[in-house]
Amino acid sequence: MFPRLLWKLLRNNRGRLAVALVAVISGATVISALLNVQFDISRKLTQEFQMLGPNLVIAPPGRMQTQNAGAASAPLMDEATVAGQIERTRTPVLISAAPYLYIVARVADTPVVVAGTQLAEAEILNPTWKQETGFPRYLPATRMRPADACIVGRNVARQLKLAPGSPLELKYLNRTAAMTVWSILDSGGAEDNQIVADLTAVQTLAGMKGQIQVEQLRVNGTSSEISAYAASLSKSLPGYDVRPVRAVSEAEGNLLNRTQLLIFSMVLLILVLTALCVLATMAALAMERRADVGLMKALGGTISRILGLFLAEVGVLGAVGGLIGCVAGLALAQWMGQRVFGTSITPRWEIFPLTIAMMVAVSMAGALPLRSLGKIKPAVILRGE
Amino acid sequence: MFARIVGQSFARNPRRKLLTMAALVLGITVATATLTVALEVGDRMAREFRSLGANLLVTPESDTLPLEIGGVDYRPVDEGAYLSETDLGKLKTIFWRHNILGFTPFLDVPAYVSATGGATTLIGTWYDHEVAVPDGTTFKTGVSVTHPWWEIQGRWFSDAANECVVGASLAAKYPGAIAIGKTIYVAQTEKSSDIRPLVVTGIVSTGDAEDNAILVPLSMAQGISNHSGQFRQLFVSALTKPADAFAERDPKSLTPTEYDRWFCSPYISSISYQIKQVIPGVDVRAIRRVAETEGRILSRVSTLLWIVTLAALIAAGLAVAATSAAAVLERRIEIGVMKAIGATNTSVTALFLTEHLTLALIGGAIGFFLGAGLARFLGASVFGTPASPRFILLPVVLGLAILVALIGGLIPLRRAARFDPAPILRGE
Repeated sequence: MFPRLLWKLLRNNRGRLAVALVAVISGATVISALLNVQFDISRKLTQEFQMLGPNLVIAPPGRMQTQNAGAASAPLMDEATVAGQIERTRTPVLISAAPYLYIVARVADTPVVVAGTQLAEAEILNPTWKQETGFPRYLPATRMRPADACIVGRNVARQLKLAPGSPLELKYLNRTAAMTVWSILDSGGAEDNQIVADLTAVQTLAGMKGQIQVEQLRVNGTSSEISAYAASLSKSLPGYDVRPVRAVSEAEGNLLNRTQLLIFSMVLLILVLTALCVLATMAALAMERRADVGLMKALGGTISRILGLFLAEVGVLGAVGGLIGCVAGLALAQWMGQRVFGTSITPRWEIFPLTIAMMVAVSMAGALPLRSLGKIKPAVILRGE
Repeated sequence: MFARIVGQSFARNPRRKLLTMAALVLGITVATATLTVALEVGDRMAREFRSLGANLLVTPESDTLPLEIGGVDYRPVDEGAYLSETDLGKLKTIFWRHNILGFTPFLDVPAYVSATGGATTLIGTWYDHEVAVPDGTTFKTGVSVTHPWWEIQGRWFSDAANECVVGASLAAKYPGAIAIGKTIYVAQTEKSSDIRPLVVTGIVSTGDAEDNAILVPLSMAQGISNHSGQFRQLFVSALTKPADAFAERDPKSLTPTEYDRWFCSPYISSISYQIKQVIPGVDVRAIRRVAETEGRILSRVSTLLWIVTLAALIAAGLAVAATSAAAVLERRIEIGVMKAIGATNTSVTALFLTEHLTLALIGGAIGFFLGAGLARFLGASVFGTPASPRFILLPVVLGLAILVALIGGLIPLRRAARFDPAPILRGE
């Protein structure tokens, strides 16, 4: 009996219910889209922060301390040990890791800082580097880079009049290394005054086989994820100095929190408004049902039964509208992701039950004013007052 | 007559009006708050990004290559070019002077320190230094502004005193000799007779090369290296607008109008250009890592925020329209009576619309002030300083309120106009 009544109620009022359904669907769409974006925003923003460069540094205990121009005598660490431990504790949050060995070499009697590193890793570590290779852009430049390639900072190139392809001879003590300029680097940072070359070549030139000074890492994630990773790394590298680059990590955490809080408070406001919108539509729908209530009561229905019927009606409406809205909201979230971040948003499935439950609850709350009709005598309503 | 009917309608059933009004007030509150925040957020976020520190680096133009490893310049003091400290006040005279939040000069000096028994780098800088600006005022700046993440234990040195602040790693290495309150002796080389006693006032932790150096007042570093009034590097922290295609263009290729627009936009490129104009002979470059991240995130967050604001506006509109529509539907019987005693569709519509307009104006005004309050609260809780109300938004939100109330009322009114009064009065 109850399901049949419910079915008839839904079937015979299609036109009127369609309007309410549209309201529920649009409400659910906005809510699920915004929730999807809200849950994904911190991941999206941390990806953006990757442009800030390395945010974790591993250094040997007691870093470079005594320095005279021309000869850097810094404590060194073993490249294989560090690389092995990084590989052992590797998690998906680690984007890249590059070992560095700095020496002050001479190029035609001008002292220049030469940074030995793994060029490919260093490029991932520093996404803001702009390189001028002299090759057409469409060539996959990194694939065909020879071992003696070096990247020359923009100021070094200007001072020494170097261009891509020109040969370069680095002198360190009594050793020399012949290199070819691969590209001119505009980094907007200290590398503009340096020559970046392959680590092995620099180690050979300096006579420091297998030795590095620092390891720079980029770890994606919230500040707690970063410090957790740093902690696990420093446990496997006892005695080493594993520390976040404070300038980067602190600003990141700060900005991330604020942006999230901001978007969250906006989303909360919209949630309230959308709920109100659905509530008003549902209340209007319920008020139109006054005559039905009167008739049912006259036929002997108890108020709780009648109310149950209407609540079931709007509940079904809320559930159906919520489900459709969730799917539409997912599409809207994808569009927002593409528009704002250029990548898609990862859907969060827990948003589905959440949105649907919310829609059902709001719809039912909208039908609650019908309860006051229980006090009214059916005759009065049926008379049309 | 018309005015009386409207007045009576408000007086007789204030509860029903209150409901519509509440929806209007809520909708407009949210619209005002989100708009205010969206208008302000670019500026706020830009300021927030300054916690990343300086975004411009000024160095001498005709310089030898700095031997910079990990942020410390290892060149001997008599090599390379220097900048003059007296020019610094001019930074606050450029067109975008108010966007220059701070600047700090640096002078790295290799020196002999008694406590470590060897060469250590002295970094001469400002902590909270007063700079005389050519217009007669002074400007307080230093690493407190450009390097806000530096953490100090104890206190910073004062400018004139023989004091210093020691990097955390260095202090940890010589716990006996270097501690807060102890005096260390510094000279340019081991043999020089110009030995200066410095009192350690604090231990600084920067997460960078300064952790292994000794920070001293700039004038002290200049005295030790015999380069009085000079420095090597200047870090500038400036509020900028995210760079777009226009910002990247060469100022020489712009037409006069375009040039004016470029010059008067706080792009990082135009600010560097203006710095170059007041301090000749310098190379100003954007610290790209910071500047580009800032630009990218700023534009992303503000796009996102505008989309969310748009969603809030639509939601507010829908909520108001839905309540207005419900209000009209509820009064169908009243409409039937009016039509039965001879009211035309036009006069009924006019009556209802006047009511809605009155509600929209009052509700919009209340909503605006509540929204300004909400924006203040949001600004205070998210960014620490309250967002100031923007009265330019008042006509905008009032117009919005009127528009949604009219649309929300008109659609059901048109439906009501088509009905015959008789069935409505019968209660069908």
